[in-house]
Amino acid sequence: MRSAEMTAEPAEARQLSLSFLHPSRSAVIGTLAVIAFLVLWQIAPAMGWVNGRFTSRPTEVFFAAIDVFKNDNFLFHARISLTEFFAGFILAIVVSIPLGVLLGTSKIARYLIDPPLMALYIAPTLVLLPIMVIWLGIDMAPKIAVVFLGAVFPIVLNTMAGMSEADPRFLRMARSFGASKFDIFTRVLVPGSLPALLTGLRLAVGRAVLGVIVGELFVSQAGIGYQLNLYGSAMRIDRLLVYALIVSAFGYTLTVLVRSVENKVRDWRSK
Amino acid sequence: MAQIEIRDLGIDYRKPKSNEVFSAVDNVALSVEKGEFVTIVGSSGCGKSTLLMAVAGLVSLTRGSIQIDGKQINGPGPDRAVVFQEASLLPWRSVRGNVKFGLEMQRWNGGDLNERAMQMIRLVGLGRFSDYHPHQLSGGMRQRVNIARALAVDPQVLLMDEPFGALDAQTREIMGTELLRIWERDKKTALFVTHDIDEAIFLADKIVVMGRNPGHIKEVIKVNLPRPRNEAILDSEDFHELRKRLRAHLAEDMSSMQLVQEVA
Repeated sequence: MRSAEMTAEPAEARQLSLSFLHPSRSAVIGTLAVIAFLVLWQIAPAMGWVNGRFTSRPTEVFFAAIDVFKNDNFLFHARISLTEFFAGFILAIVVSIPLGVLLGTSKIARYLIDPPLMALYIAPTLVLLPIMVIWLGIDMAPKIAVVFLGAVFPIVLNTMAGMSEADPRFLRMARSFGASKFDIFTRVLVPGSLPALLTGLRLAVGRAVLGVIVGELFVSQAGIGYQLNLYGSAMRIDRLLVYALIVSAFGYTLTVLVRSVENKVRDWRSK
Repeated sequence: MAQIEIRDLGIDYRKPKSNEVFSAVDNVALSVEKGEFVTIVGSSGCGKSTLLMAVAGLVSLTRGSIQIDGKQINGPGPDRAVVFQEASLLPWRSVRGNVKFGLEMQRWNGGDLNERAMQMIRLVGLGRFSDYHPHQLSGGMRQRVNIARALAVDPQVLLMDEPFGALDAQTREIMGTELLRIWERDKKTALFVTHDIDEAIFLADKIVVMGRNPGHIKEVIKVNLPRPRNEAILDSEDFHELRKRLRAHLAEDMSSMQLVQEVA
């Protein structure tokens, strides 16, 4: 009986063989769906089902993409949008993590700031965009502000939750070994709340991308959102879609990146 | 002088959201000699875990005193280590990382941390699993890690709070034998809380039977079964005798509980 317990293979090993089939199958179905959609999109205007002026075609979008990358000052606009994005996002990280830690470890701070924080989190921060423009002008500053406002709350709230919802059994165990408050913070609370923090970052990416683009759509002189607006009003659906795809690819890549780190860190929580 | 000396111990709790005070433990006196293995048994709500946590220094005393080697305890200390019931392993640390945790907290300076941890991991029979994470281990293996973590800091007194309570009966029996094997090496003073009668007898030099309302000691029973022990003693005459006695105690508790429920 003892040997059976000792030689028991970890649960992980057993699961690997099963997960082998699963993603490849979903990948096949997913790819087929995309191909079917592209084909339908390509032939629909030719068949007269839709007006090609409004829908464009995959081939047109493809050539527009080449054109955009070659002759559209693409790097100039991308640099502006990226600057706004990262300036706002990094600022949000710098402010929100310490704030989240403070709120997560101090009950009094939490009672004090939690309700307004919740309200701000739930309200779309984009409603502040007109005020930001009045205060900060039409350059990069109001977009950075909106990115910051969009990203800061999910990170604060998730960090706070990760810290304050630490398993009390871990805290008691740590105290039983004579852990100081500082030990508990660095060895229990911080590693324990890392997955929640990453969840906050992931949610923040989406809001930050939205902030940049909507900010630029609203009022701007350059940037990806500016280009979107430009080609929208000029009815250049092909180019408009190229920019839309670039934006979603950017947000998607960043989200996947954060999620993969998150999954790695969260691994130990899975079961 | 006994190693653990508990005198007139009382622990009161204030019920949350009211000013009602209730007594978890009252009038408890107990001496434990160095090297003695003492089990504390009783039905749930008899304050046995509270008593253990008080010795660990994790619960503050309302009345009375607890001394270890003649010194009044004041919070947790390196002379004691606790093995918790379950889920007290840090899930983001490997087996080795978890065993090192206590050593890190106590700023261990008795040689290489890794070497010390590995030694303990091998002692509990998990040498091959030192890089595994808790979620990859069975319940029994996790409790082995829990024991290794407590032993690593080389405490004078080992405190165990129903460490095998969440395990199935068979694993539990194996773990009991394993625990005795490990304990026999240096015979550290041990306090072991359980609600399992067989476990209480099998491990003990001395069984403390507790009753409830408020938690108090009903009887202290000496166990004179020979050591080292194995499963065979479960069928011995003396063991049966002790089992009968403990069962009578617990049955008494159960019937008084039923009475309370009927009144309510």
